[in-house]
Order: sequence, then C-alpha cells, then structure tokens
Amino acid sequence: MPTAVITGTSRGLGHALTEKLLSLGWYVYGISRSSSRIPHPNFQEYLVDITDESAVQRVVNSIKEAGKPIELLVNNAGAASMNAVLLTPFKTAESIMRLNYLGSFNTTQLFGKIMARQRHGLIINITTVAVPLNLEGEAAYVASKAAVEALTRVTAREIVAQGVKIIALGFGPIDTDLTRAISRDKIQKINDQIGRPRGTTLNEATDFILEKINNAEIISGSVEYLGDIR
Amino acid sequence: MTRPESIALILKRIQILGAELAKPELCQATEATKLFGESSSLDSMGLVTLIADLEEDIRQQYKISVTLVDEKAMSRLTSPFRSVHHLADYITLVVNDTKS
Repeated sequence: MPTAVITGTSRGLGHALTEKLLSLGWYVYGISRSSSRIPHPNFQEYLVDITDESAVQRVVNSIKEAGKPIELLVNNAGAASMNAVLLTPFKTAESIMRLNYLGSFNTTQLFGKIMARQRHGLIINITTVAVPLNLEGEAAYVASKAAVEALTRVTAREIVAQGVKIIALGFGPIDTDLTRAISRDKIQKINDQIGRPRGTTLNEATDFILEKINNAEIISGSVEYLGDIR
Repeated sequence: MTRPESIALILKRIQILGAELAKPELCQATEATKLFGESSSLDSMGLVTLIADLEEDIRQQYKISVTLVDEKAMSRLTSPFRSVHHLADYITLVVNDTKS
C-alpha cells in the first residue's frame, strides 16, 4: 500500500486529493490545523501548524515509528490574501509567506530526509497560475508561491542524487474556500487567460496531480500549470 | 555515546555510501578520511547525504533527534565536517549534550 503525506487536508484541494488517494488504495497521513473529518481506516491525521518546526518534527518521528516508506509528500496547505501591495499590512504579507513558503520548506526538509534515506520519493508543491500571470491584487500570495517554485527548482538539484523528485503543480481558480473572496468577473478573466473558460473543478485538479504521480518520467524541478500559460 | 561508537557509526555509513556511489576508496575510509575539499571522495551532495543519513542513524540508535548542521556547527573554528576525526568529535558532543 503506497503511503502519502498531505498538508492542508481539512478543506479544498487537500481534502479532495486525500479522498481520491484513499479510494485508490493509498495510506494517507494528513497534516492540518483543523480536522479533515475523513473517517477512513487508512487515514491518519495530525492537527498541527506546518510552520511549527518542532511540532512537525514530532509528527515526522511518529510517522517514522510506523515504519512505512513515504512515497509522496504533497505540500498543499496554503492561504491567499487579496489586497494591493500598497495596502497590504506587513503582518499579512509575513503570515502568508510563513505558511505558504516556510511551511513547505519545513515539511520538504523533514520528509525529504526520510525520502533521501529511502533513496526514493516524490514531493509535489502546489502553486498557482497567478505566478506566471503576475496577477495584480495578490502580490503577497504570488510572491510566496514564486518562492515555493524557486524552492522546488533548487531542491530538485540537491536531492537528485538520493533518487528523490520534486515538482510544482499550479492551478487556476478552483471553487474552494481559498477563492471565495475573488469576484466572479475576476475569476472568469483568469480562466479565460489560461484557456479554461469553464474553470477548473476539484476533480480535474486532483486528476492532474494523479497523472503526475503516475508518470515515472516526470522531470524533477519542473513547474507545470493546468491550463495554457504563455 | 562514546567517541569509538561515533567513529564506528560514521565509518559504517561512509562504507554504505561508498558502495552506493561505486567509490571503493570510501569503503576503505579511516578516521583520517577527509569529508570535503579537493582530496575528498565525497562531493558536496555526497556530504549532505552522509549527514542526513547519520542524523537518522542517531535517531534510530539513540532515540534522539539531532541537527548536525546549524549555526553552532558552522561557527566553530574548525569545521566539524573536515574529516571523520572532526565529525566524530562533534557527533559525540552533540549527542551527549542532547541526551543530558
């Protein structure tokens, strides 16, 4: 039974991906601040803030005790903030960077060590089309995800020798809590820009992720978006 | 943890890495073996692999989590990663400090 660790499983994409992997026979460890309410015998959750280094270390120790090889880590937990650069409070920019970038940094490092030891594993960082689109009104979010993309490219070079791969996958607006604050007009404009006028469903997003998980030829360090990005 | 235990732990791990990287000279490693620099058989990524593996070995054998590369390690006058000899001194110190 392959084993995955997914962050941000309580809602949205993380929740949907967890349910999909469970249905395909995976064992899933979820890391989330609030409960995912997924009653499944192959799902175990840890209620932890991923930016808390020592708390995540304790989770890693607990998972190691179980002794299952970890095939997959999905750094999905994240938050967005809609605001103009000139009006965004410093604390907001800081907390977005902390969760989206440092949270992924922390789990990549701690689970990356397990994978390096195993000499195999795949890490998937979730990013957004807002990065290549340079989406106005989301500077703090876009900058944090650009940092995640850079982390992906550099880490790929550092862990290739240990047989571990890392990629970043980005999406346009998916109908989740993260995008509820964005106006319909703006969402439509983004979807038109990326050649997906009907938007992206959770199912399409999880299928895109699965396609990459199942692709043994995937190029480590690559950043791919679901949509037509020019 | 005693220093000979530390030496044994490091040499065993270097030998495993040497077999994996097909570098027979690493399989013959001694206390004097250099871990980085021009005369070392390990490149920088090999050293990273070695350190990460040793952290895990220590966790398994001594039931403690240690971080071998931090500001404390980097600010030492003599790098603990210079040779097996220096690394053994450092690991012995870190493990015993963490345990106490």
